[in-house]
Amino acid sequence: MPMSNDTFNDGGERPDRPRADAPEELTGRQRLMAGIWPPRVTRAQLIVALLLFVLGLGLAIQVRSNSDNSALRGARQEDLVRILDEVDDRTQRLEDEKQRLDAQRTELENSSDQAEEARKQTVEKERQLGVLAGTVAAHGPGITLTVDDPGGAVRPDMLLDALQELRAAGAEAVEVNGVRVVANTYFSGDGGAVKVDGKKISAPYVFKVIGKPQDLEPALNIPGGVVQTLEKEQATVHVARADDIVVDALRPAERPDYARSSGQ
Amino acid sequence: MIAVLGLVVGVVVGLLVRPEVPAMVEPYLPIAVVAALDAVFGGLRAMLDGIFVDKVFVVSFLSNVVVAALIVFLGDKLGVGAQLSTGVVVVLGIRIFSNAAAIRRHVFRA
Repeated sequence: MPMSNDTFNDGGERPDRPRADAPEELTGRQRLMAGIWPPRVTRAQLIVALLLFVLGLGLAIQVRSNSDNSALRGARQEDLVRILDEVDDRTQRLEDEKQRLDAQRTELENSSDQAEEARKQTVEKERQLGVLAGTVAAHGPGITLTVDDPGGAVRPDMLLDALQELRAAGAEAVEVNGVRVVANTYFSGDGGAVKVDGKKISAPYVFKVIGKPQDLEPALNIPGGVVQTLEKEQATVHVARADDIVVDALRPAERPDYARSSGQ
Repeated sequence: MIAVLGLVVGVVVGLLVRPEVPAMVEPYLPIAVVAALDAVFGGLRAMLDGIFVDKVFVVSFLSNVVVAALIVFLGDKLGVGAQLSTGVVVVLGIRIFSNAAAIRRHVFRA
């Protein structure tokens, strides 16, 4: 340890030194006051002032650099290495966590994509089933079958035959005089007073059919088929292809009373 | 009085000018400041005792600073810098306390 300042601590044991500024016994407090006021420019004061200036400077610099945000400025090497290690560890941990969260996010995005896809498929399926069940309007290529019956000779079974023929030829949506034809559609009544699903319809009977026109038209026109049978009864039959048939007669979606989905 | 002014001016200049300390000196500055504080307290006590000699003060101030820095430097080279500077601070702190006690007896007579 530096001991050079001991001169001050044991200075009182040096009897040979005359007390320069205190011939009569002064107390310490009086000496202090005398040193402070009045200010005297002596060599001792100037030298001490210079050294104290250096001390104040060092003090201020040190306090400043310590209170700077960079607490690392005055740190020694091993501390810096330790801090660096800690920061590295922390970076590693945060990196790991980031990867984990990224993976989780990807997973969630995938599952939400799948849910979206499933939803789309469900909507599509609902539309397809709606076309079959008659709960949604449909349009597409097809034919219009017009049966005019001035003599009232067309019986419901003939219309049913025509409908079966159309179904067999791949008709996907059918409408007769504004009545949507679905799975449980029935024809009743008598010649000239035909009822479809209990609703009376009158000639001319107009079938709007969506399907492949190239299949539907020949199916009606085959020898001994629907067209010939109807014409035998003095009905006039007209089949016209169209690129866009609109079937917009709708049925309410009815919940079956007894049948339940088996969940398959 | 001028000495106290010197201290105040030093602090103000240090805060205002923000001098850039060379990286070589930087680790030794805090310990040097503590050593200088010890010298200053010793000087104050000597003044109150009436035995103040400016030459002794200058020599003790400078040698305190140099020796303290030297010890820390050696400690750094030997790999025990942190422990050794703690030791230096402890010893200097004890000396500052005993000097402060002597000063207190002079000023407050208690």
